Amino acid sequence: MSADTNALAALSDQLADAVAQAGAATVAVHGRPRLASTGVHWRDGIVMTTEGTIRREDGITVTLPGGDTVPATLAGRDRGTDLAVLRIPAGRLPVATKGDPAALKPGHLVLALARLDELGARAAFGAVSAVGGRWRCWKGGEIDRLVQSDLVIYPGFGGGPLVDAAGRIHGLNSGGLSRSLATTIPAGTVDRVLDQLVERGYVSRGWIGAAMQPVRFNPAARQRLGLASEGGLVIVAVEPDAPAAAAGLLVGDVIVSVNGSPVDDPAQVVEALAGDAVGKSLRLDLVRGGQRANADVLVGERPRERR
Amino acid sequence: MISLAAAAERLRASVVVVRAGADGRAGGGAGIAWRAGGVVVTSAHVVDARDVTVVLPDGGAVPGEVVRRDPRRDLALVLAPRAALPPVRHADPARLRPGSLLFAVGHPLGVVDAVTTGVLQATGPLPPGLGVPGMPGDLAWLQADLRLAPGNSGGPVADAEGRVVGVSAMVVAGLGLAVPAPDVEAFVAGEAPPRSASGRTPRRGRRPAYI
Repeated sequence: MSADTNALAALSDQLADAVAQAGAATVAVHGRPRLASTGVHWRDGIVMTTEGTIRREDGITVTLPGGDTVPATLAGRDRGTDLAVLRIPAGRLPVATKGDPAALKPGHLVLALARLDELGARAAFGAVSAVGGRWRCWKGGEIDRLVQSDLVIYPGFGGGPLVDAAGRIHGLNSGGLSRSLATTIPAGTVDRVLDQLVERGYVSRGWIGAAMQPVRFNPAARQRLGLASEGGLVIVAVEPDAPAAAAGLLVGDVIVSVNGSPVDDPAQVVEALAGDAVGKSLRLDLVRGGQRANADVLVGERPRERR
Repeated sequence: MISLAAAAERLRASVVVVRAGADGRAGGGAGIAWRAGGVVVTSAHVVDARDVTVVLPDGGAVPGEVVRRDPRRDLALVLAPRAALPPVRHADPARLRPGSLLFAVGHPLGVVDAVTTGVLQATGPLPPGLGVPGMPGDLAWLQADLRLAPGNSGGPVADAEGRVVGVSAMVVAGLGLAVPAPDVEAFVAGEAPPRSASGRTPRRGRRPAYI
């Protein structure tokens, strides 16, 4: 056997070892018609999967690596980050060995795992393609790190772990959040959302209850008002009883800055409502009826039906 | 630098192009020199006529004859006595684990002897909910995260040591499916496929039990 063949066989063995290790904490989730999806035994008695693969609230079951199928209860779901929490009997299988997603770099070899039936853990192989900092996914949730790979997220692989060559689990792969590249919800986001879902059953998100869109100032008004920025955000709707209404914001007000930072894109206001903004106050500089004004809005919690 | 080149080179010496028809102008796929003496295995869906043309690795074309065909298992046996090729080594994919490296040699969309790589997902029947209407549910497949395309059919899927573990057959939901080597060996030997050489026995309640 040539040196190349030996090295290849060794790599092949290492990948299979990584699948075996991470696969011991990877389960099949039966929460939708037909094809199963995948979940990770994240903490003892807690399986994390992707929210989009859970299509019923009752009658969910989980198939363990040994082949036993056990009942699972839906303990919480967060559409924004595409995560769902299932409770299963404790002590039935090993808890996932986690890696640090911040250590992943483009080019690192990774595996996507799934379990769909009694044939064992399944694997897809590829490389990390892109990494980055915090981002907001199209479902609206904050994801703590960008982790994308060229892995194929086959049917049923959603909710399965992203595994490095040492068998450590770095997060959950989401079919729903993936586009041309596979997207992984990193371990830090899984922990954060899991804590919130277990503690209060939902993920708290900042909310002021105003709809707005970008608007440009005419140069004369801009000069007269001494505005540094060329545009702002005009409020087009204020929900009754919302924090924006309580702060006296009116339709037609133009938000020029939030906490002193100029804004001309609604995403900048959304950003100001991220993290632990609930309960804090935002200072808004406004143009109202052709005059400068300001308002302090106490950030509330997004109502449950709009999460 | 780890490379597949040596293993791929060895395997390519045993892979042919199989074209339906004596004139070799019809569409085709790949074939594998399974035994010495011009015993070539390909996919049943590649050859629907008795006479075929076998294009050797050196570019020469020799005539072949389809002597056995199993559309259900999607295998065909071609005899091409003038194809003096080294037969492949083969192995049971049941000895591999999920995540084991695999590579395929074939002619995807006409690119002769292209090598693609991937890993093993499972060996056995497709998971419930992933089958294709009309496809027998109890067939065992080598299921791989491996890029296959038309033209790969009938070509080998090999392990990291270059042993053929399956014959490329089709793609379902993006998954590359190959006929496990023990089923191919049984077909070539003219035997019924081994009951669970590479798969599991059907579980109660999942599929009808034929009695």
